[in-house]
Amino acid sequence: MYPCASYLWLRTSEPHDFIFSAASLRRVSDCFLVVKEINIFMKPIRSMFCLVIAFAFAILAGPAALAQDTDFFVYAGTYTGFKWVHHSKPYGLGESQSKGIYVSRFNAATGELSEPQLAAEVINPSFLTISPNHRFLYAVSEDPLSVGPPLDHSSYVSAFAIDPGTGKLRLLNKAPASGTSTCHISMDRTGKYVFMANFGSGSVSVIRVKEDGSLGELTSFIQNVGHSVAPIQSEPHPHWIGPSPDNRFVIVSDLGMDQVLVFRFDAATGMLSPPGPPSVSVYPGGGPRHFTFDPAGKFGYQLSEMSGVVDVLAWDAAQGTLTTIQRAQTVPHDFFGGNHSAEIEILPNGKFLYESNRRTLSETERAPDTIGVFAIDPKQGTLTPVEQSLSGGVMPRNFKIDPTGKYLLAANQISNNIVLFAIDSNTGRLSNTGKEIKVDTPVCLQFVPAGR
Amino acid sequence: MKNIRNLALLGLVAILSVPCAWCSPAATGDYFVYFGTYTGFTYMKEGLPAGGSNSKGIYVSRFKPATGEVSKPELAAEIVNPAFLAVHPNQRFLYVATEDPLSLGPDFDHASYVSAFSIDAATGKLHLLNTLPTGGTSTCYLSIDKTGRYVLMANFGSSSVTVLRIKEDGSLGEQTAFMKQVGHGKDPSFQSQAHPHSIDVSPDNRFAVVSDLGVDKLFIYRFDAASGALSPDTPPFVEAEEGGGPRHFVFDSAGKFGYALHEMSGFVVVMAWDPASGTFTKVQDAKSLTPDFIGANDSAEIAIHPNGKFLYESNRRFRGPNLWGPDSIGVFSIDAAKGTLTEVEQVPPRGTMPRQFAIDPTGAYLFAANELTGNVVLFRVDSNTGRLSPTKTELKIDVPVCIVFVAAHQ
Repeated sequence: MYPCASYLWLRTSEPHDFIFSAASLRRVSDCFLVVKEINIFMKPIRSMFCLVIAFAFAILAGPAALAQDTDFFVYAGTYTGFKWVHHSKPYGLGESQSKGIYVSRFNAATGELSEPQLAAEVINPSFLTISPNHRFLYAVSEDPLSVGPPLDHSSYVSAFAIDPGTGKLRLLNKAPASGTSTCHISMDRTGKYVFMANFGSGSVSVIRVKEDGSLGELTSFIQNVGHSVAPIQSEPHPHWIGPSPDNRFVIVSDLGMDQVLVFRFDAATGMLSPPGPPSVSVYPGGGPRHFTFDPAGKFGYQLSEMSGVVDVLAWDAAQGTLTTIQRAQTVPHDFFGGNHSAEIEILPNGKFLYESNRRTLSETERAPDTIGVFAIDPKQGTLTPVEQSLSGGVMPRNFKIDPTGKYLLAANQISNNIVLFAIDSNTGRLSNTGKEIKVDTPVCLQFVPAGR
Repeated sequence: MKNIRNLALLGLVAILSVPCAWCSPAATGDYFVYFGTYTGFTYMKEGLPAGGSNSKGIYVSRFKPATGEVSKPELAAEIVNPAFLAVHPNQRFLYVATEDPLSLGPDFDHASYVSAFSIDAATGKLHLLNTLPTGGTSTCYLSIDKTGRYVLMANFGSSSVTVLRIKEDGSLGEQTAFMKQVGHGKDPSFQSQAHPHSIDVSPDNRFAVVSDLGVDKLFIYRFDAASGALSPDTPPFVEAEEGGGPRHFVFDSAGKFGYALHEMSGFVVVMAWDPASGTFTKVQDAKSLTPDFIGANDSAEIAIHPNGKFLYESNRRFRGPNLWGPDSIGVFSIDAAKGTLTEVEQVPPRGTMPRQFAIDPTGAYLFAANELTGNVVLFRVDSNTGRLSPTKTELKIDVPVCIVFVAAHQ
């Protein structure tokens, strides 16, 4: 179905890439130094050896060294399908043709986006996270043994090494996530732990990451306890987990409890405290889903799935407390259908906030799916609506802004397309570039600098 | 350098002739008996502090099966709520479930932990190796696989079973399996969700059997001893008695039959085990309750005598608020061919709430732990009839809830 791996090499070996970058030259000179040291006793053949080594290194380092600062790998997590049975009938997302995690090469200078290639075969990689050193990727495997919601047994997490030249992923190991329907994974700031939100079993868990990037022991497990008003909220459903900017606290958005929980995090042991400092509640029935801090670490933004509300929260970094300062509505007043907001992210310049909305007009009619743009008040952190942009497909469950802040990629889960938007960094507005790539059931996007 | 060489030789001979306590210890025939306890919860029940206990952790006594002599229990390790214990097959390590140390009450259970201890073969004292989360709440049971490379846990509160790797040095490593059990049973007070209460590997180490008190099922998992992974068997479970609440389970020594004790009904369900396919076929429902008993029953522990001829099970009963009893330990004879049970007797445990008991490895004595009265009573076992007769030996231990034996050396 997909072109062979060498196709990616062809794509990346375009003429303008055949220029010795500063990085590759640096590597060659490093090589000379090493060779000099080890060849004190081999003077006669030294210069020749050196030349050969330098030449070999230039070739070997090729694709890695040729990369520009604006070259990225874009990874797409997907659902490969469940074996769900509901009322004795196959049900749900069982139709996906996806085989795992896909990678494209993205040039943030030109907006060029290559055809996606299979980076790793893995079941239901529904959320991905990248290590701070860009060498490892961690993927959730959502309930691969599931034979239907009454028998969700376990989710897993897999550690992969990233090939800096090709972007291909090499499996290091996998471990249980210590929960079911694991829907979010992130890392602590040191890159020594992965955090998991286990939506199904209502817990969060922490696993140690070893020096080689592989997964070690479970260092923390916390069962959330509570409920709220909507039928889906009869039990806790953690949906997002991530560290505070100073790595001393961990934030957990619990869709079932209508709460944003704060735990103390000990980076020496990987332990989470029981809940506390005090949590903050969203409006009942809202369903907190994804959370983000602003780049300055002064404010937190909590997107609620069902209400579409973004709670703007002041972050007290010393105490680890969140205080609600605004409840910004993202659903237009004249919209009367169903709303499921999904992803939230802030532009690297800190001026604009983006959030995606999956909407239905009736049981059979989907739309209008949007990405909402909001301006952030630099002092107060509050939001002012800029626009609601159509996502260019159906069910924008996830999107990601490229690290340079020039483009936004929107992953539309049902229409199986990832659409490229240009961002106006002054107004925050999105414009659909008309470029898109096809990936089956895309649900998570992550950028990694290519070959650096 | 001749003198030095001779000296070195002498030294070497001296070292070699010193008995090596850890490499080939001389068995004494004595045992260390370890007692797990509740040290107390910090929760409130009906407006009052609950769970008061003066226990500080795990206690140890020295036991001589030849004479029935038991030393006064001493604190072996200070630890919060060591509610269940399991001994490594090499007798050098002890694994302990710490039940929800941070809990503010069952509604706020956040995590249980498991600790690995090394055992001092001379004194029986325990040395902590490490502690990790079990991956669940209200962890009420743990066991070790036959290879000694994995510890398996039943997490009553959060409806899961988990497996952690045991490293060469006995310390705990990564989680190798997590399985959530889903469903509910007939009794809304205890069975609104799954409650795994025990997990044990099959005699051939290829399967793990889980009693689920909440859904009235015995779950069967394939166990891969190479990776420590669990995967659902086909079929994934066998139905237990409706509303019965399967709690603890035991295989017979030959690995031909399984016995599932039901907490609420007090039934022992006898099943034939097919080790090739990992399936059970029901053989008998044996009752431990007399038909004229009116009140509540909570059966607890089940064990088979080392000679394979008799089965024991404990029953905690009450007839109303503060009306405890009659508690009993039931004795059944086992039909060697059919595996079926015939009641021999029901014996009072000489205390209240016999949550646990254990038969010593020689089969001569049974230790009954009465949780509420804080006493452990020693019974003599008649290996021909299975009958129990109380001795005068009784130990005072606060909230005793688990007993295990380890061979003592020196």
